[in-house]
Amino acid sequence: MINTGVNKEFNMSAGIEKNPSKKSFKLSPYLYIGPHLILFTIFFLFPTLYGIYISFTNWDLIGAPEFVGFANYQEILFNQDSTFYDQLRTGLGNTFKFVLFTVPACIIVPLLLAAGLNAKPKGLKFFQALFYMPTLFSVSAVMIIFSMLFSVSFGPINHYLSVDTNWLATQPYSWIALVTVTVWWTIGANMIIYQAALNGISKDLYEAASIDGANSFQRFFRITLPSIRAQILYTVVITTISQFNVYGQPLMLTKGGPTSSTTVLLMYIQENAFGTGISIAGIGAAMAVILGLCIMVVSAIQFIFLRQRD
Amino acid sequence: MRKISLLIFSMLFVVTLVLSGCSSSSSGSQSSSKNEIVFWNPFTGPDGENMKQIVEAYNKTNPEFKVKNVSMVEADMYTKIPTVVNSGKGIPNLTIVHAERIKQFVDNGMLTKFDDLLADYPELKAENYVPAGWNIGEIDGSRYSLPLDVHSFVMYYNKDLLEKYAPNALDDNVITFDEIREAGEKSKKDKIAGIGITWTRPIFLSIYNQLGGDITSDGETPTLETPEAKEALQLLKGLVDDKITNKDGEDPGQLFKSGKAIFYPEGIWMQNSVKEAKNLNWGLTSFPQVSPDKIVNWTSSHQFVMFNDENRSEENTKGIMAFLDFVRENSLPWAKAGQNPAALETLENPEYKELPQAFLIENPEMQQTLKIFDYKYNGFVVEEVDKLVGDAIFGKLDIDKGLKAAQKAVEDKIKTNNKK
Amino acid sequence: MKKTGISKIVAFIFLLLMAFIWIVPVLYTSITSFKSEADIQTNAFTILPINWVIGNYQDVLFDNTSAPVAKWFMNSLIISVSQTILVLVIVSLAAYAYSRMKFKGRDAIFVFLMATMMFPAVVNLIPLYNIVDKLGWVNNYLAAIVPGAAGVFNIFLVRQFMKGIPMDFDESARVDGASDFQIFLKLILPLIKPVLTVVALFTFTASWNDFLWPSIVFNDVEKMPITPGLQLLQGMYALDVAHALTGALVAIVPTFILYLFTQKYFMESLSLSSGVKG
Repeated sequence: MINTGVNKEFNMSAGIEKNPSKKSFKLSPYLYIGPHLILFTIFFLFPTLYGIYISFTNWDLIGAPEFVGFANYQEILFNQDSTFYDQLRTGLGNTFKFVLFTVPACIIVPLLLAAGLNAKPKGLKFFQALFYMPTLFSVSAVMIIFSMLFSVSFGPINHYLSVDTNWLATQPYSWIALVTVTVWWTIGANMIIYQAALNGISKDLYEAASIDGANSFQRFFRITLPSIRAQILYTVVITTISQFNVYGQPLMLTKGGPTSSTTVLLMYIQENAFGTGISIAGIGAAMAVILGLCIMVVSAIQFIFLRQRD
Repeated sequence: MRKISLLIFSMLFVVTLVLSGCSSSSSGSQSSSKNEIVFWNPFTGPDGENMKQIVEAYNKTNPEFKVKNVSMVEADMYTKIPTVVNSGKGIPNLTIVHAERIKQFVDNGMLTKFDDLLADYPELKAENYVPAGWNIGEIDGSRYSLPLDVHSFVMYYNKDLLEKYAPNALDDNVITFDEIREAGEKSKKDKIAGIGITWTRPIFLSIYNQLGGDITSDGETPTLETPEAKEALQLLKGLVDDKITNKDGEDPGQLFKSGKAIFYPEGIWMQNSVKEAKNLNWGLTSFPQVSPDKIVNWTSSHQFVMFNDENRSEENTKGIMAFLDFVRENSLPWAKAGQNPAALETLENPEYKELPQAFLIENPEMQQTLKIFDYKYNGFVVEEVDKLVGDAIFGKLDIDKGLKAAQKAVEDKIKTNNKK
Repeated sequence: MKKTGISKIVAFIFLLLMAFIWIVPVLYTSITSFKSEADIQTNAFTILPINWVIGNYQDVLFDNTSAPVAKWFMNSLIISVSQTILVLVIVSLAAYAYSRMKFKGRDAIFVFLMATMMFPAVVNLIPLYNIVDKLGWVNNYLAAIVPGAAGVFNIFLVRQFMKGIPMDFDESARVDGASDFQIFLKLILPLIKPVLTVVALFTFTASWNDFLWPSIVFNDVEKMPITPGLQLLQGMYALDVAHALTGALVAIVPTFILYLFTQKYFMESLSLSSGVKG
């Protein structure tokens, strides 16, 4: 249906203009990206460059930033006596753990869900609405819901398991709780992207494979996955970036505990830049730059790895 | 279907354009501040309502400068302050900040002095305020803030359980940790916790101060790694180890409200939530003490300040002073929010005397027990103490190590901040 | 035919199991919203409320006489709808260029954009505020609408989907004499409608739920969107679980309706390959 519509419009457009001028072709790509580039430069590039500049200064957010060269980096990367050195190590370590624990689940679970939904079973609309719904809740609402669910003496989880596990303040339960919450809360977006992608795969491909005698398992790996590779690359990269930026879950659920074992780097960055104390924005900005570089390296690896299969 | 959605979208788009057109024209007129005092405060929820009542009552007196009440979420307000002060535009005329933050603002030269302005309002003077609240605003002989309230961290108790497990504990109006321990030993057989471990920072700081410690020795150096601090943490850890307290992870508020805890240290501002428990027969007394000779109640205070602003007009400032004098005489709504107004004027009001938290300022002796932990680097101490106490008393962190790390962290933060 | 029947049953069972995990917190939240705060605080866990109350809903919806909730709602609608439209226009144009046009520095620019987005925007708040202030947008809807449209991730998403459309399409159209813009408008846009719906949904939801930035750029309570507005109604000290959960449920109603409205669009089949054949 759609396909014939497209063809019609083709012919129509062909009729309207026959002589596109060659010169405008060279300029035009920049007209397409221009509107975005302008907004990007004003609202992202400038503030980010400023943030990087701040990492080379000593600044309390109030006076003028004072340039100190690489002193902040020296402090957080090499001064082993410094509290900030410890903060970076602990925070970055916990952040990497969080990424490692959550990203695979946040890719695989929604992919399976989308594949299941794509079979168009009974109750399709109910299922997809249910799996997407948590994404709509605000971070604070989700954390209240789960701190009640995990509550030691008043929570349903301990009630039905007949245990008195302290989910939010002992290990390894704190990590289990954080990962559970994150998967429950965030997979909706990836699921929808996979659904849209799976819908784009032609039925013909599957039918051809069925004739060849491929079972559904083989079909998934031979046809489904390769067909949505571009979307998988997107979700892997974006999910990784957003999990590196984890903040709300450990802040509100485990409060970074027990003994800083779930304190992620963004919590230290916030504490230094916008804590209750006088702002040490330079150190916070330097930590943010280090985090940014880590994300960049990881994303670059993902790009290379997922592209090589072309 | 496609057409319908297109139609809906285009309609919304047009509506949007029209409305944003209207709004931008109205925002133009709005930005020119007429005779108006823009008043920022971190009071949301029920507190915000009570503050609004005071502001509305003042505006009804038809002052030359009406007060415009702008309530914000606390964290946002403190993020916003450096942002507006930095840009020099949109600075509020009057702001409420926490007492502990004032030294830091003064250090940065951000506050306007009240000194010359007080002459016209002779009643805005030390004698008319609770000392703990008044003194905080005076730094190096200059006055930078005026107090709204003094809010203390005290202790709720279950009257029925007290009668059962420690009938004589309150005879001297003070409950000691020994008495709590004794009661808790008895009550734990009935699965009732002696005392709830609630907000760890004021609990620790109150005990620390009772034992003679403070967070700074000279106003510059932090003092956390001290024998007194260790003793305070050990005292709390002892209660945890002997199962006098709630278990780690249990919600002490729920325990207390469901009648499963005798003592519940909390702020006076938590009264509304305690009141919700219908069958609970509760009372309010001082925070528990190590010895009855020296009573300490951790306290903080909301203070009125004026951030420096080139565009501040003399008339507007006069309007502010009139408002502050009005607040001094009309703080009752604020007391009903569960706080203790700093202005002694309210003390005279019989309605106020009925309130449970009134005992804290009813006489000068009790006023002396209110301790505000005032230190230029208080914020750094707060960050580290918050990480330390819970883990240390629930046995997840070695006390010596924890104190050492906290001391070092505060020192490092101060050092980095002062590196110029 | 048989096979699809079996896979439907397998899928159904799998989804049912997952749905059980997913529905528990939602059910818990819904049921708790009918408990009174005193009930939650003073009684051990029970599945159903001891006394069913609707007071939480009354409080959340009607008991804020002084708060301009209706106005907040309109503000949010204006901001989120405008931002969504702006994003759709900007993103589809840019993604088209990055995925289907050849020009100097194309990949370099895109990599640069992505790299910039990797830096956590923590200290950036203050320069961003200053820029918005210089533009005179403080207390203006534009401050909440425009900066959010500058992100790169949506372009990345749409670009990935556009890559799945064979370039033969463009070539044959070009042979027929269509210009770039005509190809974009008449050929590509209709094909990527599902992903644009996804972008619209994400953008609208993110804008609706955004909290920190709007509360920084709006001083005026009347101008505030609903999410930071509702935050103001919550108390500073005591966290009231019953009302917080009720508020959370009420707050997702608009975005959930939008989801229900859009879900059939991103479920639409593209039938790309048959398009090639035809």
